[in-house]
Amino acid sequence: MDATEAAAVLDRARQGDSEAFRVLVERHSRSVFRLAFRMTGNEQDAEDVVQESLLRAYKQLGRFESRANFGTWLYRIVANCSVDLMRAKQARHDQARGESLDAVIEMPAADTPGPERLAQSAEVERRVRDALAVLSPLERAAFTLRHYEGRSIEEISRTLGLGTSAAKHSVFRAVKKLRAALQPLRAH
Amino acid sequence: MADGFMKHYSDDDLILYYYGEGRRRADIDRHLDACDTCAATYRDIAGTLAMIAAPDVPERGDQYGLEVWQRIRHRLPEQQRPWWSLWFTGERLVLAGAAAVLVLVAFIAGRWSPHQPGEAPTTATVAVSSDDAAASANVRRRVLLTSVADHLDRTERVLTDIMNAPERSDISTEQRWAADLVDASRLYRQDAIDAGEQSVANVLDDLERNLVEIVHSPSRISAADLEQIRRRIDAAALLFKVRVMSDELRRRDNAPDAPPQPRTSTRKIS
Repeated sequence: MDATEAAAVLDRARQGDSEAFRVLVERHSRSVFRLAFRMTGNEQDAEDVVQESLLRAYKQLGRFESRANFGTWLYRIVANCSVDLMRAKQARHDQARGESLDAVIEMPAADTPGPERLAQSAEVERRVRDALAVLSPLERAAFTLRHYEGRSIEEISRTLGLGTSAAKHSVFRAVKKLRAALQPLRAH
Repeated sequence: MADGFMKHYSDDDLILYYYGEGRRRADIDRHLDACDTCAATYRDIAGTLAMIAAPDVPERGDQYGLEVWQRIRHRLPEQQRPWWSLWFTGERLVLAGAAAVLVLVAFIAGRWSPHQPGEAPTTATVAVSSDDAAASANVRRRVLLTSVADHLDRTERVLTDIMNAPERSDISTEQRWAADLVDASRLYRQDAIDAGEQSVANVLDDLERNLVEIVHSPSRISAADLEQIRRRIDAAALLFKVRVMSDELRRRDNAPDAPPQPRTSTRKIS
């Protein structure tokens, strides 16, 4: 699809043409899923975010400015949907959360395994996953955008609708927690 | 260099440095060569972050987009439209055209019907001119009332959007609308003063000041700034004044016999 065609499809979708929106969904779903998975770390949650983001995008499409880049606009929606979903999950599991970080930090490193490197890598993966799971939704989102997505602090602040300072401090807090959680592995 | 004389970098500085951000990168480079403490901290940060690899994203096939579409196609919500777009559709466009024609007619009538100094008109002419002038003034007042009432409705929507905007939001769209409304407000205020509608002019003046405040706020507004604007709108009871004034203008516009003389009430609406 060339740029003119893409603009025409977008314009039709903005007018409420659902067939045109189908083209956009087919075109962007995979990248939406990729970001949603990185943000949430969970396949089922990522699927929920994909659907919710696209429905939200359709609803707000009439207010989308055609001069802007649709991909960038959708990226923001996905990031913010992910944060919303993580917040909702956090609210449901709030009680367990307070203890989780300590539990992750104090989790003993696995005994020296047979095929050492493989086991260590699995151990790292497990700890990283557990440590990420206890970050606040905003910390996790900011860290994901910075570390996995390679977004600058400025871009993170725009994407998540935060001030630059808040975006920066979300990344700092996330790194601090991850360092603490992974310290036992580093010490080995 | 003795450690006591050396300025160390914070963990935050070193995190930004790791990600290739932050200022003073060359300074930090040099410092890390010279300072064992900071070099050790940086090694720890970099070592930890290097352990965190991006997770493998589960594969999604070529048909994934279509599958997603099948899942959401029956759940598509109603699209939100910017409120101003409603003014550019169908019947409203026709009404706007009719209003524009009415304004033009009123303007021409206003130009031709008033007195002509230096001439002594006959009694009959005076009577006719006087009737025409009154009718013309009446038309102009009605046009003004309708236009200002519409303007107040539009302003109310912007203010309501601002009052309900989520924290940390981008209000640049509302600012653009507000900027347009400020310009219109100035013109209407002057018209209202000319027509002796002082209470209308007062409300428009209040509005103008608050709209200017919104226009000059940062687009990506902080929670504190947003709260300040909201407090100001609340304190001036602005939304209430706008609604009351708009209702009053429409009531007067719908009244069968509009008063021949302009209202000069300066009653405060609060």
